[in-house]
Amino acid sequence: MPVILQASDGQQFPIEKNVAERSMLLKNMLEDVGDAGDPIPLPNVSGSILKNVIEYCEHHKDDPHFAAEEDKEVFESSRKKPDDIDEWDANFMKAGKGNEELFEIILAANYLDIKPLLDLGCKTVANMIKGKTPEQIREMFNIENDFTPEEEDQIRRENEWAADA
Amino acid sequence: MSYGAQQSDLATTWAQLEAGIDPIMNKLSDGLSYKSWMDLYTTIYNYCTSSRMCNHNDEPINGSSSNRGANLMGADLYSNLKTYLKEHLDALKVKADQQMDEDLLTFYTREWKRYTTGTTYVHHIFAYLNRHWVKREIDEGHKTIYDVYTLTLVTWRDHFFGGGLGTIQPKVMDAVLKLIEKQRNGETIDSSIVNSIVDSFVSLGLDENDSTKPTLDVYKQFFETPFIAKTEEYYKMESERFISENSIIDYMKKAESRLAEEDNRVQMYLHSSSQKPLILCCENVLIRNHTGPIQEEFQNLLDQDKLDDLSRMYGLLSRVPESLEKLRLTFEVHVRKQGLSAIEKVAESAQAAPEGEEDEEDEPKGKLAASAAPKKAGDVDSKTYVDALLAVHQKYSSLVETAFRGETGFGASLDRACREFVNRNIVCEKSSSKSPELLAKHCDSLLKKGSKITDEHEVEEVLNSVMTLFKYVEDKDVFQKFYQKQLARRLVNQLSANGDTEESMINKLKDACGFEFTSKLQRMFQDVALSKDLNDQFKEQTARSAEKSDLPDFQILVGGTGQWPLNATTTKFNIPDDLLKTYEKFQSFYQHKFSGRKLNWLFHLGRAEIRANFVKQNGKIPYTFLTSTFQMGVLLQFNAAPSYTFAELQTNTSLDPATLKSALFGLIKSKALIVSNEKTSDPETRYEINKAFKNKKTRVKVDIPMRAEQKAESDETHKGIEDDRSMVIQAAIVRIMKTRKVMQNQLLVTETIDQLKARFRPTVPAIKKCIDMLLEKEYIERMEEQRDMFQYIA
Repeated sequence: MPVILQASDGQQFPIEKNVAERSMLLKNMLEDVGDAGDPIPLPNVSGSILKNVIEYCEHHKDDPHFAAEEDKEVFESSRKKPDDIDEWDANFMKAGKGNEELFEIILAANYLDIKPLLDLGCKTVANMIKGKTPEQIREMFNIENDFTPEEEDQIRRENEWAADA
Repeated sequence: MSYGAQQSDLATTWAQLEAGIDPIMNKLSDGLSYKSWMDLYTTIYNYCTSSRMCNHNDEPINGSSSNRGANLMGADLYSNLKTYLKEHLDALKVKADQQMDEDLLTFYTREWKRYTTGTTYVHHIFAYLNRHWVKREIDEGHKTIYDVYTLTLVTWRDHFFGGGLGTIQPKVMDAVLKLIEKQRNGETIDSSIVNSIVDSFVSLGLDENDSTKPTLDVYKQFFETPFIAKTEEYYKMESERFISENSIIDYMKKAESRLAEEDNRVQMYLHSSSQKPLILCCENVLIRNHTGPIQEEFQNLLDQDKLDDLSRMYGLLSRVPESLEKLRLTFEVHVRKQGLSAIEKVAESAQAAPEGEEDEEDEPKGKLAASAAPKKAGDVDSKTYVDALLAVHQKYSSLVETAFRGETGFGASLDRACREFVNRNIVCEKSSSKSPELLAKHCDSLLKKGSKITDEHEVEEVLNSVMTLFKYVEDKDVFQKFYQKQLARRLVNQLSANGDTEESMINKLKDACGFEFTSKLQRMFQDVALSKDLNDQFKEQTARSAEKSDLPDFQILVGGTGQWPLNATTTKFNIPDDLLKTYEKFQSFYQHKFSGRKLNWLFHLGRAEIRANFVKQNGKIPYTFLTSTFQMGVLLQFNAAPSYTFAELQTNTSLDPATLKSALFGLIKSKALIVSNEKTSDPETRYEINKAFKNKKTRVKVDIPMRAEQKAESDETHKGIEDDRSMVIQAAIVRIMKTRKVMQNQLLVTETIDQLKARFRPTVPAIKKCIDMLLEKEYIERMEEQRDMFQYIA
């Protein structure tokens, strides 16, 4: 029995139930409400992002759920290594996605409660930041420097011990 | 993306949420759409992700002010939800207060279901709050913050169920107990109600320190404790009333079914942890409190062989293990009595039988009866006796196996009882060694040719059961003596039915008593085998010397004096001329072969076959007389003359009068000889060969023992045992003294008994006597200073 997801822009995506259940949010809701048949509105996710998320879920539909307590350790340790990313996942995150899109995917994963995707997004961002200067990071993410030179100086002094690597 | 776009004002947000949650809590049956569900979730999501810094209401509820990396929204939603739940339950309580008894239970379970279902939804809808704000609070150690579902349970517990005044738990429990009592009274109830009440009580057991770990505190305190108390009260009353109005047998049935019922009750609707305390309580009230009367019934049940009731009683009382000891004692006494009375019956019927003519009501008791007159009780048939013992043993050992589930304590009682009645019953009254004697006799009759049981396996089985009794026999040496004697007779007379069976029995005895016990028996078998070779060699030699034709067929069994319990006879015997040559030949053959050995000829054990040429069956086939060696000696005389007087026969054979008399007894009885008058041993009485001899068989057994001989033999064996024992006791004392050097009298006696009890139970006077003998022989001496101390003399 497929379920229909409806993005904020009205786009509809019929998908298999087990694909939808990669999202704990949808899993719980389907459990509560049952099979109503009508589209499930996701007011916080746009069609283009939802498409990406579904692609991810389709690929991972047969992964084990790391829900149980005993799996937590394994799960935690694997997601803490930022360079340990599955090849498909790495390609999925790269494939023509801009920063904006990347963040939207992270937010959608948070909203839909898809932990592996949320972790993947965060790892990707962490890898982007790694080894960059603050200026480079500001440029990359289009962040305005709102520190005064005095503030900046103080922060630099406080973190001196870590700077010389 | 819409974060930040929507201004998440608390009042608006909560209004939206309450409007959505209320139907979920109250009218979920009306259904819920994907949209409303998602809207509620999204509302919470948006509120929690709004970047607004509202420090005043984002403080944790308990006022912690720890430095956090980022502000998380949610405290307001959490406390609003809490307030909402309280109010929701307050309203519910007003309704609950109007209900009583079963209605209240129905109400409670319905509302409980509704509430928990609703709050499961709410929990999911608040997932984002759980995931972030609640998680953070709990990680920071705020004990009073729970995930939403736990919060709903805690609220139910604290504001509806119990904890404060006006809560409904006592009323609910009261109603539950009434309901269970109804069921106990035989009414049908809807047990699913109790079941869901129990579930609810169990669910409410929340560990304050870790909400993910359930505890049973609430269930134990509010359900189990009053329930057990009520149970105790109920069954106390019921059992006391029932037992006063009904028989114990009925009461046991009642108690048994009540126990099963309560066990079932646990399966049906209680938490499994209640099984132990509930059953323990029932056992106390139903069994432990009534142990006395139940135990008293035991004897009656035994008397009437009520297997089912015995089994039931064991089943019940085994739950109160200390109560079994009394049963075991009663059982032991009962089995002993049964054994004794079974043997009394055997003795009585033996007395009623024709042999028991002698009237000796008051035989002097005690001591050894070796020299006593023939006695009624001792004359029982070995098979009847053994069968009677076995019947009692088997009956009660199967009772132990079935009714008492093979419990070892009862097994031990059975063993003790059997030991008693096997060794000390009326038949053994005069001599404790009667049991082993009869047992050995029974073995003999089984192993002898002509035994009624011929199937090997069957014999094996019977022998096994004999071993069962043998285990109980105290005077195992007596058994050994008799067994050895009878084995000797079987071997000498070639009466053994089956060599394998003989061997298997010896192995059984070896297993039971050790190698030493059977070594002589085994050596006897060796002698038989050696003798076979000897015969073959002898035959060969005589064949070579070409004198074979004029010699009779001859076979001999040569046994070592040590292992064969055979006595030489005192009578002289003239070897008949026909045999003399063979006798001399063998004598020289044997002396040549084993020069150092001396042959003692036990003619009284020999047998012969004599073909009678003077008379033929139907005029065709000559009769063959199967005789003893002595009878042969007598019969061969008649080749020379047709008749002799007793005195003449005595002179010719050199037999002493008693032996001659018994040899003649069989010849007269079989009518091979005709006697002139009744006084068979009068010197002048004349014996004549019966020329008109007639018999249905062509092989006629004339070797018929006189009754008195058997008797004498048994007594002689007993006498022999006494002598042997004296030696064994002395040997044991010497052994002990040799290792201990110095020993006190009493200790020596105890030690001696201890060492010998596997073979027999020596009496204290017997040991004293042996000590005296050893003192005399100067193996030991009394010590100068202490007269009750003995010292070993090296």
